[in-house]
Amino acid sequence: MNRKPEERVDKIVASLLRGRRLKLRAGDAEEKEAITAAARLAGTHQGPQRMHPAFRKRLARALEQSPGELWVTRRSALVAGLGLAAGLAGGGVLGRAFEPARAPAHAPAAGGDVINPTRGRWVDVAAMADLSEGHAMRVRAGGVGAFLFRHGDTVTAVSSICSHLPCELWWEGSTQTLNCPCHPASFYASGQPTDPYALRALSKLQVRVTTVGRVEVLGTE
Amino acid sequence: MTPDDPADEQQAEVVELPAASRATDIALDELELVYAFIYARVGNRADAEDLTQQVALKAIPRLRQGAPASAIRGYLFATARSVLGSFWSTRLGLSEAELREDLALVPPSEPPSEEGVETVQEILAELSDNYRRVLELRFLHGYSLKEVAAEMKSTVGAIKVMQLRALRAAAKVRFPR
Repeated sequence: MNRKPEERVDKIVASLLRGRRLKLRAGDAEEKEAITAAARLAGTHQGPQRMHPAFRKRLARALEQSPGELWVTRRSALVAGLGLAAGLAGGGVLGRAFEPARAPAHAPAAGGDVINPTRGRWVDVAAMADLSEGHAMRVRAGGVGAFLFRHGDTVTAVSSICSHLPCELWWEGSTQTLNCPCHPASFYASGQPTDPYALRALSKLQVRVTTVGRVEVLGTE
Repeated sequence: MTPDDPADEQQAEVVELPAASRATDIALDELELVYAFIYARVGNRADAEDLTQQVALKAIPRLRQGAPASAIRGYLFATARSVLGSFWSTRLGLSEAELREDLALVPPSEPPSEEGVETVQEILAELSDNYRRVLELRFLHGYSLKEVAAEMKSTVGAIKVMQLRALRAAAKVRFPR
């Protein structure tokens, strides 16, 4: 994280030149111009790219999955001579064909792993009586930051660190979301991102409620 | 149901529709343009595939019967720009104002031609000799930093700094198309 900008940018360049996905970290935003220029140079120097046959096949399968209603008439397709319109009209419903793969707002995103510290210990973080439904409580269990949420007699906890940039999230009561201060990302109390396409879910923490009504989180020394 | 009823029109036209496989090919060709557009901006296949699929997911269900067909490609590219905007703003905090070049782009009216290297060279031509050379060697010839350093009789550390400065300078050059 403390590496010099030229080293961080070179790592991104090297990754792009190997054809790898863009993986960015906090601090990279300072070099956003250089990074977007690198992406465009990497994306342009070989000329316009076509879909990989395997990806095209996957899309084709989705398109051909099921016949259905028409979204665009054949007439409108023919008027403009646009392939997509004709494709929609002839091949059934693109939207319908894609529907099964379309993630609803609360569908599980990737991520959401449970944090299990190697030398973890249960840390007393709050009294059950201090928690109320619909509100988040920010706590720290040693070196682990978390937000607690009460659901009746049980409590859940998610990491207080954004799943994309290592920034401390904050709770917005009006939207019932955890928001990242570093970029426009937010998460539900379940840890699922509000935008199902973009981000991994927040990591979860193990929580228990003791017989005397204390909330403990599995954290660190 | 009158002859002008949209549902009636759909049913009547289904009979004349092209075979599904042919129609799918045509649809995919349209998405090929979207893919090329996105790839040229993110520079890697994995992100380009994800974003192209997002465009399909977002745009296709919203295309309604009776929409002006001439707007369909425009709508797809508007969606592509929105998806790209979200991609960069999520990862780097770029605002729409900073993405104005992408957002203002006109959708291509024909399949892209093989002009990538020329495009890059147009950009590089605007840079100073050293900046142009380091980016040429890295991006056009695929040299490692060490190889660039040897070629330019410099050190790896100095080349890393030069590469960063060259990219910052390249970002200020307006990318053609």
